[in-house]
Amino acid sequence: MSGRILRYTLHERLIHWVAGFAFVYLLVSGLAFYSPRLYWLVNPLGGGQTARAWHPWAGVLFTAVCVWMYRIWRGDMAISEQDRAWRKAIGRYVRNQDKDLPPAGRFNAGQKYFFWLMFWGGFLLLASGAVLWFPERIPWSLRSLRYAAVLIHVSAALATIGGFIIHVYMGTAVVRGGFTSIVRGEVTREWARAHHPLWLNEKE
Amino acid sequence: MASLAATFGRGAMTNGWTDIRNADVILAMGGNPAENHPVGFRFVMEARREHGAQLVSVDPRFNRTSAVADHFTQIRAGSDTAFLAGLIHYALSHDRYQAEYVRLFTNATFLVKEGYGFNEGEGLFTGWDARKKAYDKSTWNYELDAQGFAKVDPAMEHPRSVFQLMKKFYSRYTPEMVARICGCKAEDFVKAAGIITSSYTPDRAGTILYALGWTHHSFSVQLIHAAAMLQLLLGNIGIAGGGLNALRGHANIQGGTDCGVGYHNLPGYIPIPKADHQTLRQFLDAVTPKALRPNSMNFWSNTPKFVVSQLKAYYGAAAVSGNEFAYRDHPRLPAGENWSWAYIFDHMHEGRMEGFFSFGMNPVSNGPNSRKVLGALARLKWLVVAENFEQETAAFWRADIIELIGKKPADIATEVFLLPAANFAEKDGTFTNSARWIQWKWKAVDPPGEAKPDEEIIARVFLKVRELYEKEGGKAPEPVKHLNWWYSNPARPSLEEVAREINGWSLKSGQQLAKFADLEADGSTLSGNWLYTGMYTEAGNLTQRRSTADPGGLGAFPQWAYNWPANRRIMYNRCSADGQGKPWDAARPVIRWNGEKWTGDVPDYKADSPPEAALGPFIMLPEGVARFFVPGQFAEGPFTEHYEPAESPVENALHPRQSANPAVHRFGTEWDKLGGAGEFPIVCTTYRLTEHFHYWTKNNPYNMQLQPEFFVEISEELAKEKGIAGGDRVRITSARGSIEGKAMVTKRIRPMQVGGRTVHQIGFPIHWGFLGRGKQLGSLANLVTPTVVDPNSFAPEYKGFLVKLEKVS
Amino acid sequence: MKTLELKRVSATAAPAPGVREQATVSKYIDTTSCIGCKACEVACQEWNDLPAETTVQLGTYQTLPELTPNLWNLIRFNELDHDGALRWLMRKDQCMHCGDPGCLKACPAPGAIVQYMNGIVDFNQEACIGCGYCMTGCPFNIPKLNQKTQRVYKCTLCSDRVSVGLEPACIKACPTGCLQFGTKTQMLDLAGKRVAQLKGQGFEHAAVYDPPGVGGTGVVTVLAYGDQPELYALPKDPTIPLAVRIWKTPLKWLGSLAMTFGVVGTVLHYLRYGAKKAEE
Repeated sequence: MSGRILRYTLHERLIHWVAGFAFVYLLVSGLAFYSPRLYWLVNPLGGGQTARAWHPWAGVLFTAVCVWMYRIWRGDMAISEQDRAWRKAIGRYVRNQDKDLPPAGRFNAGQKYFFWLMFWGGFLLLASGAVLWFPERIPWSLRSLRYAAVLIHVSAALATIGGFIIHVYMGTAVVRGGFTSIVRGEVTREWARAHHPLWLNEKE
Repeated sequence: MASLAATFGRGAMTNGWTDIRNADVILAMGGNPAENHPVGFRFVMEARREHGAQLVSVDPRFNRTSAVADHFTQIRAGSDTAFLAGLIHYALSHDRYQAEYVRLFTNATFLVKEGYGFNEGEGLFTGWDARKKAYDKSTWNYELDAQGFAKVDPAMEHPRSVFQLMKKFYSRYTPEMVARICGCKAEDFVKAAGIITSSYTPDRAGTILYALGWTHHSFSVQLIHAAAMLQLLLGNIGIAGGGLNALRGHANIQGGTDCGVGYHNLPGYIPIPKADHQTLRQFLDAVTPKALRPNSMNFWSNTPKFVVSQLKAYYGAAAVSGNEFAYRDHPRLPAGENWSWAYIFDHMHEGRMEGFFSFGMNPVSNGPNSRKVLGALARLKWLVVAENFEQETAAFWRADIIELIGKKPADIATEVFLLPAANFAEKDGTFTNSARWIQWKWKAVDPPGEAKPDEEIIARVFLKVRELYEKEGGKAPEPVKHLNWWYSNPARPSLEEVAREINGWSLKSGQQLAKFADLEADGSTLSGNWLYTGMYTEAGNLTQRRSTADPGGLGAFPQWAYNWPANRRIMYNRCSADGQGKPWDAARPVIRWNGEKWTGDVPDYKADSPPEAALGPFIMLPEGVARFFVPGQFAEGPFTEHYEPAESPVENALHPRQSANPAVHRFGTEWDKLGGAGEFPIVCTTYRLTEHFHYWTKNNPYNMQLQPEFFVEISEELAKEKGIAGGDRVRITSARGSIEGKAMVTKRIRPMQVGGRTVHQIGFPIHWGFLGRGKQLGSLANLVTPTVVDPNSFAPEYKGFLVKLEKVS
Repeated sequence: MKTLELKRVSATAAPAPGVREQATVSKYIDTTSCIGCKACEVACQEWNDLPAETTVQLGTYQTLPELTPNLWNLIRFNELDHDGALRWLMRKDQCMHCGDPGCLKACPAPGAIVQYMNGIVDFNQEACIGCGYCMTGCPFNIPKLNQKTQRVYKCTLCSDRVSVGLEPACIKACPTGCLQFGTKTQMLDLAGKRVAQLKGQGFEHAAVYDPPGVGGTGVVTVLAYGDQPELYALPKDPTIPLAVRIWKTPLKWLGSLAMTFGVVGTVLHYLRYGAKKAEE
């Protein structure tokens, strides 16, 4: 095993990727509905009607997985005093001056905030999405629900998309080894020390 | 129709649909034209939009017509006579009548003979025989001079002049009395009266539109006569935009009436021969009236020509002068027999009938008192129903239906034949509409499956009967043997040929007759119905004409189809011009005297008779003028008096001892029960919906979508009293039975103050039953209606009977 | 679809290709002449081959509480005491064919909703994805989603009939002349005259309903109580819902901008700072 440690169990990796693919599907189909300039995105999804039919189910799946993640990562994702300090020093993280940051545990504050953004965002998207899913079931007298739903759905989607862009960017380009870890589950000890020293300490 | 014929001479709408748009005032009463005649109603809307005509709606309910009316008054179902009598009194007492018109064109100037009278306290005219329960009508007549002509007082001041008698007779109908009887407010009545009588000036035209809301009473004929009197007083008969317009409920009911569908008439309103009319001479003497004034044209003096030509049509070569044109073999009605609708089922119930043909009729649903009809059908040996759909009558033996009279299918021995018949769109022929337009229609689609047009069904039955007569002989074979069955396809007579025959032709020249004046009594002409002569001439089938040319600009459209009589668009149109032949209203001339002849519409008059000759304008009446006072044609009196319906929540406010119509016959079967106000305190009426046609469209998904199920309209006040909410299930019970359905709680019916107490009124449409689409819950409206009929027209009292109402939990 | 007659096309960034000059057409509804016979309801279903709905009696003459995917035309009945008298108001409810259609604005599917040069707003079910956003965009509660087909349906103003010079089926069926069809100019003229007449008859608030908030409508309605259109189940000053306007304009632009910045930002960040190094 020459210094590699298990960072994500198979269970965790599986969940992550279910959520990830669901989100990508939601993102692609959602963007198609969002702007006529992106409507071409429905083509690989089998056309507008198919995308419209699956989009809400993907949303249900995504939210379900978020709940599942919550069950297994609730402890790991709790925001601590340290995280607040980390957040205040986020500029250093951005500038790759990680040494000057408070040390991170299994997840750094950025990851935690991303998790909560996706969790609550997913909840709002599902709630507003349900209204949009069955517009014919919303009586005319409650039409304000529909108005609220479109605004909430779009706003929440935009927020999660923002988080998603950063997450993918960080996980692939910036934090090398991150992508491998969520695919294969393992990281090197050095990687762990650099990015999640407290977690490494705990592990050892 | 009986009423209009007795008052004006002909039983039909006086004007026409397209003429309604010329009206200034439109009274919709005893009918709901927006609901039941939506297409014809366009002319009401045009009158309102184009020249601001005022529409007055008087009805037990605020209905679809009321929704677009300028004024609405709610009255109790069955109180219409009092309202109209009140209008007559209002017009007479406020000098709002067209005096010169009345003097020239009505029998207001006639003197009534001594001995005639009306007992106001008893509510009876002279001649009442309490034992026979019938009138001796001998006093209801004119004072005649030596030549047998009626005496007149042109000043209308003689105390026995019809005008003075009428004035006195109706003086009892004050607005307060009207309000008391009808349950409306006196000021509402006065407001309505002000609008309605505003048409008394020569330059204003008022029309009345009515339908079954007036004909479905035990006093319907008298009621309509009251409306006719009102229109005569206001000078509204014979003018453009005027008239008393009976709106017929079926596309061809006018045609049916014209062509002898009633048991008492031959085609063309010739009375049916009675058993004691043994010879043609006796018959013709009995039915041909004599002129009652020297200047009366008395067109019915031509009756022999009409009768002989009709006999020629029936029996062809077998009808010759030597055998009285086969008259002796022609069926005659036994004395005292009545075979109108309600009596048919009474006779059937008494076991006097073996078999029954029901063509396009559904007696179980559409006759009054459905249980009595079921009881009657159960006594038949055989029943033939020709219909588009299986319906309640053909299926009367079904367990859920026959259970209504406590029987089981096994108890029923009647053999039922259901013949699939083509519907109106699946066959050619004509429709005669309310406006008396005989209009050809062309088949749109072929009948489905084995369905056959009526003429084929009838022809095949006839040919089979004739064959059996030939083989086996039988009673009275002559009419069957000699019937003139000349059609090129005997098993399916072409309706073109039938139309030619109805019009008639000359047996000398073989040419189609051009007009009924060409008919002869010597057997040289043949015509199935003199009234229709002119519709299919040498110029062709005029019922197929569709020209929208309108030379007078008043919507007469003289080249559209054929308008009986003689293509006249407005009947009695001589009345549209004054004594000099000048139109009363220069803006709306119908005909005028040009010095040589009458021009404009086809004159309902001798075309070259100058105004000075003062020929009577009502050429079909022996008086030559219209009748306020009806000398004996009605069963219950020469003037219209208000009588309560057979079931009424109150006693007659005018004469409690004679509350209901004295001349009404009481049927006596076990099903003929009447209820009292104690047990059944609510006034009930039935009606139709624009979304349905009778009991037919319950088979059509679109109609059923629009009105899916039986419902009852209930006032908010009554609903509150009974704890009923809209959509709740309720039960209506009368002395005859009960039905259940959804409640419709509405502001459009309101409780009334009648006779010092609160009277509730409810109503429901008739269109559902047992067979059809969707939920047919057996709510036959006529399970609760009574078999009580008018003594003249024999129309049942579907409107204004008593029920009680309960919530079904 | 008649390409040269397209004035607006849903969810399409390119300009609409319509160049054919056509007068704006309009229905005319005179509620004061309507007798609620429902001939228009059935004529619409028959012309468009729509199946009958299964209904129940709910205590009213109105066929259904509102339009459905198979009933594009509904007479709304309202009985009330008003102006000291009982009134039974009836109004034919159907797509209003707005000048500025909220449905079209809300629609995300290119070409699913079009507006023709003559003003008719039509749904193209082939392109419709069944999202129902049009239902949110409409201020009149008109488009209805068919759960089985997952497409939205509404009155087409009989664009098929109109394109060959016929009047819409509902107009053809109307017996009282309460419904008319023609150019909007003609219909407004007719409506103006009727309103003047009604005012003369004492309906001082009679008015034409042609709300400017939605760019006027392809249905010109005469109301006896024009000051209270809600008595006829019509919104008083309808506009495309604020939420839809926010969503389709500022929010969409801001969102697009934000997403673009997000992606561009990551690229810039990488160029400036590069990856984090694990070994140091």
